[in-house]
Parts: sequence; structure tokens; C-alpha cells
Amino acid sequence: MIGVYRELEGSMRLAAHVLRRCWVLKLPPVAEEFARQIYFTGASATAGIVVRGALVGTLIIAYVIEVLDADAALAVRILLWVVLREIGPLIAAVLVIQRSGTAVSTELALMKISGELASLRHLRIDPQDYLVVPRVLGIALANAALTVYVQFIAVGGGMLLSALVIHVSFFEMAGSFFELASPLDLVYAVGKSLLFGAAIGVIACYYGLNPPGNSINAVPKAAISAVTQSTLAVMLLNVVFAYLVYGSALFGLFTASQ
Amino acid sequence: MNAVPTAAIALGYEPADDAPRLEARIWVPAGGSHVVPAVSAALKAALLAAVLDFRPRRDARVVVLGAELEALDARARAAVRAQVAFLPANGGLISHLNAWENIALPLAYHAPRQMQGVAPRVYALLEPFAGDARALLARLPEEMTPFEKLLAGHARLMLGAPRLVLAEDLPRSLAPAERRQAQAFAAAYLAHCPQGTFVRLEDGHDAAD
Repeated sequence: MIGVYRELEGSMRLAAHVLRRCWVLKLPPVAEEFARQIYFTGASATAGIVVRGALVGTLIIAYVIEVLDADAALAVRILLWVVLREIGPLIAAVLVIQRSGTAVSTELALMKISGELASLRHLRIDPQDYLVVPRVLGIALANAALTVYVQFIAVGGGMLLSALVIHVSFFEMAGSFFELASPLDLVYAVGKSLLFGAAIGVIACYYGLNPPGNSINAVPKAAISAVTQSTLAVMLLNVVFAYLVYGSALFGLFTASQ
Repeated sequence: MNAVPTAAIALGYEPADDAPRLEARIWVPAGGSHVVPAVSAALKAALLAAVLDFRPRRDARVVVLGAELEALDARARAAVRAQVAFLPANGGLISHLNAWENIALPLAYHAPRQMQGVAPRVYALLEPFAGDARALLARLPEEMTPFEKLLAGHARLMLGAPRLVLAEDLPRSLAPAERRQAQAFAAAYLAHCPQGTFVRLEDGHDAAD
């Protein structure tokens, strides 16, 4: 219990540090780390995203049409509710946890064990400024971009497949989709993704900077902790968002009747 | 250390009398190249923690560049610390940066405006020691020999022109020719910073060994 509290407190401190020190991004070496992180998390993950996004969109549409015997309007609504608001951010987050969460925690744990963090301190460079701030912000931004990408691929792929299977005009479905969809849906999904990405980045950095030991065996343990805890954090954040949107707090702003 | 004016001391470390493992005293006058023999791992750790991380033992007296660390406020300590560089035996390079990025890192971080025209300076620093400086600069630490890592670390500290350099003992894996070259780093530093002090901390044995 104390360990959980310590980890939570450490992660919160790290998150506060990122917020307080985000201005260090203007320093050239930190900006390079930021660009590297965005490339690694965002750009180099796009091929996998295309396949996964198209598969998810296709699966949802096929399931809705075959099992629920739905018409075009319901299929579009399901796409809107499930893919745009929920599945898109979650898929992107899971992909980022798999790729960047493990990579960041492993890299930082190795740097700690091999003395590179101490080397940075000897150069009067705060490892949290140089390593954590660009990674957390880079992962948050890349995760939001990946989410939009997933949504685009999954919704577009899903509507295309629907048009082929139930013989409804693609443009009719697209028109129906854009009529139902609100810009707030996108804002909601992107806001959620930014928070998911930041949480993944903070947790991966925390476990990377605090491996359970100084031997090489601590590295996989740090990676496992980072993956499990960031998955848990994303799920919890999703519950909070779902409550805010579908619960009583903001009920009416996003309603099922849209 | 009490008999000598503090201003004339580049590096001083005087542990308390009741510190059996850290009984060695370090006293290095300002200017020139010095070797502190037989520094135990414990003493080195305590010294580096005090000088580089401002974590002196409470019962130890530490003097850096003529100033007693205990007597300085945070800003003055930071000003003193900015004039001290450390050269670890492995060069202290960051593994995901190539040699050029490693060498330029502190300058780009602390004084990005001084980065203009730094490349010729780096070449000038490397060329007396490296056959192909351009090829070396493109390499990642994992592709470099121990000597090349040390050389990159040396070039990195030279860009900062520190007043005090603390260098770890040379790695045993160096070939005799590389060792001779690495020993010339002190002379290269003093040619670059005539007022500076280069201190090599030679490895000793721990009391427990």
C-alpha cells in the first residue's frame, strides 16, 4: 500500500514537473528529443495504425450489421459513439503503451543503471528536464495525432465496407455521419488522447527513472510495471471521461439522441 | 589546509577525524595539472557528491576554486559549479546521441547562442588525437572504442572552458599508445585554459578490499 502511494506520489510529482518546466522545450537539445519522440511514437507507428484502424472499423460494422441486423443510420451512430469517442482513443493509447511506454521505460532504466543520468547531472543538466519533459509532451501530442488517424481510418474504412455490404450510398452514410457528428466529439477525443498520452509518458518515465534495483534485471521489471500501470491509468481515465460525458455532470452536452 | 589561504586552493576535501574510511585528505593548489594518488572509491564518491552534486558530508570541509562550499548560498554554489567539469573514465557519454551531439550537448543546453562556429573548434580539439574526426563525430557510443569515448568526453568539457577539471583514472583497457594520448589531455586542457587546474583522481583501494 505504501509502495502504491509512493508510486502515485512520484508520478504526480513528475507530472507537476512537466507542467512547471515545459518551457525547456525551447532549448535546442530538448526540442530535438521532443521531435525524436514525436517521430518515434507518431510517425513510425502509422503503418501499424492503418492496419489496426481499418480492421477495427470493419469489425464493428460487420458485427453491427450481422448480429444486430442494423440499418445504415444505426451503423453510423455506432461508428460515431464507439469509434470516434471511445475505441479510437483507446486503440491509439494501447498502441502507444505497447511501443513507446515500453521503449521509454526500458531506455530510461538502462540509462539510470549505466550511469548516464548521473552523467547528465554532472553536465548540470536535469534528467527530468532533458529526458522526461520532451518524452511526456511528445507522447501526448503523438497520441492525439494517432487517435485522429485511427478515427479517420476506422470510420472511413467502416463506412466504405458498410456501403459495400448493405448497399447504401457511401456519400449518404458520410452525410449522415457528418450530420450526427459534432466538433465537440473530436475535441473530446483529442482532449482525452492528450491526457492518455501524458499519463502513459509520465508513468513510463517514472518507472524508467526508478527501476527496482541497479542490475540489468531491473530493466524488464521497470518495463512491465510501466505497461501494467499505464494500461490501468488509461482505463481509469476513460471511466472518468465516460462518467463526465454520459453521467450526470455534463449530461446533455453529448447525448445519445444526437 | 588551514595554514594555506583558501583562495590558493583549487580543490580541497578535509573529512572529519572520525571518518575512518575517508581518512585521506585532498589538497590541490590552483593552476597546473595534478594527480591525486590512491583515491578510494568511497572517498571519490564522497568528493564527487560534494563537488558536483552539492551533497557534502556534514562533517567534511570542501573547498572548490577558493570557496568553501558550506559558506556559499545556492546562487554562488551554482556559479562555482558551472566552472567545474568532470571527465569519467568512460567519457560519460549519452548512449542515444552520437559523438557530435554528445560533445555539443552541454553548450547547446546552457548556452545555445554560443553554438555558432563551434564545429571548427570541435575539429581542432579532436584532430590531434583522432585520425578521422569526421567519422568519429558520426558514431554512437556503442560504436566507439574506450579511448574514443574518453576523447569525446574530453572535447565536451573543453568547449565549456572550465576552471577546474576532475578526471577519473584512465581505464585499464586503453592500449599503451592510447594511454599516452589520454595522458596528454591535461596538457591540451592547460594550453586551452592556462589559468585552469586539471586534477586526475587515481584509483586506490577501499579499506574493505
